[in-house]
Amino acid sequence: MSDYDDVWLIVPVYNEAQVIREVVQNARLTFPNIVCVDDGSRDASVSEIRQSGAHLVRHPVNLGQGASLQTGIEYARTQPGAKYFVTFDADGQHRVEDVVRMIDRLRKEPVDILVGTRFHGDTSHIPWIKRLVLKTVVALSPRTRRLKLTDAHNGLRAFNKTVADGLDITINGMGHASEIIAIIDRKSWRVAEEKVTIIYTEYSMAKGQSLINGVNILFDSALRGSRR
Amino acid sequence: MLIQILLISAVLVLMVFFLRNHGTTRTAAGVKIGFVLFILFGVLAVLQPDALTSIADAVGVGRGTDLLLYGLVVAFAFAMVNTYLRFKELELRHARLARAIAVQSAEPPALDDKVQEPGAGQDENQDKDEGTNVPTAS
Repeated sequence: MSDYDDVWLIVPVYNEAQVIREVVQNARLTFPNIVCVDDGSRDASVSEIRQSGAHLVRHPVNLGQGASLQTGIEYARTQPGAKYFVTFDADGQHRVEDVVRMIDRLRKEPVDILVGTRFHGDTSHIPWIKRLVLKTVVALSPRTRRLKLTDAHNGLRAFNKTVADGLDITINGMGHASEIIAIIDRKSWRVAEEKVTIIYTEYSMAKGQSLINGVNILFDSALRGSRR
Repeated sequence: MLIQILLISAVLVLMVFFLRNHGTTRTAAGVKIGFVLFILFGVLAVLQPDALTSIADAVGVGRGTDLLLYGLVVAFAFAMVNTYLRFKELELRHARLARAIAVQSAEPPALDDKVQEPGAGQDENQDKDEGTNVPTAS
C-alpha cells in the first residue's frame, strides 16, 4: 500500500510514444493512480500507455490539451477514494519529487490548489526567450498578479476534490492555463505557488508549445466569457 | 466627422452586446433582423443611389458608395465574430460528446499489473525491446 492511494495523476498524451511509458512507470513508483488521456495520437502512444500500468481514456478525435485535462479530471474525480489531483505533463519535464512536496503541502495547509512556478530562485536553466515570454504573459494579466502567481502557464498543478469538482475547462486548446486561473479567481479558491523545477530536455523543448501559439492563447482569452 | 463617431460607437456597442448576449434566442433574432435590414439597405443603395448619397452627405461621407463600403466592412466583421463564436460553441459541444464517449470506454490497467510492479527491471528490458520496435512501427 502506498501513502498516495488517494492521489490521481492526470497526464494528457498526444503523440508521446517515445517517452510516455517511462514517464508513467517512473511516476507509478510513487503514485499508483495515473490516468493518461490519449488525445487521438497517431503514433504508438496508446499501446505504450497500455503497457505502462496507467488507466487509459481515449478521445475518439483530437481535441486539444485543455479538453484532455478536463476529461482526465472528470474520470479521476469519479474514482473511489480520489482526494487529490495532479496535472502532469507527458513529456517528462516534471519531477515526481515536486509532486510529492505539493501533495504533502495540500494535506497540511489550508490551500485548495497549488500551481507550480519556475520563477522562484534560480531561473538560469530556463531558456531566456521562454523566460521573457512567460514573464510578459504574467505582466499582462492583472488577474494573475492579483492572485500573486508568477508562472500561470506551468503545467504542474495539484488540487483537492473541491477544485476537481468545480473545474469546467471550456477552452480545448492551449488557452486553458489562463482559463484555469480565471476559474480559480471566480470561485475564490485558495491558491498558492510551489517552486518546481522543469527539466528542459531536447525532447520536451521540441514538443513544448511554440511561442507563436501565444497569439492563439491571447485571442481565445480575449473572446472568452460569452458563454456565461 | 459624424461618420467616424457613428461607426466607432456602432462597432463598440455591437461588440459588447454580442460578447455578452451571444447564444440567446433574442440575439439570434436580432442578428436575423439586422441581416434583413442590411439586405434592404443594399437594395435601396442599388435602386436609389442618390438617396444613398444624400444620407452619406448627412453623415459626412463624400459619396454613397463609400458609405456602402463602410457599412459592408462593419457587417462583415460582425458576421466573422458571429461565426467564430458559433464555432467555439460547436467545438465545446463536440468536446463534451467526445469526452462522454472517452470516459465510458475507459480502460483500467491490466489486473496482473500489480504483480509486475516490484520487478521494475523487467520493464526496463521490455523498454529496450520496444525501443527498437518503435521506429519501424511509426
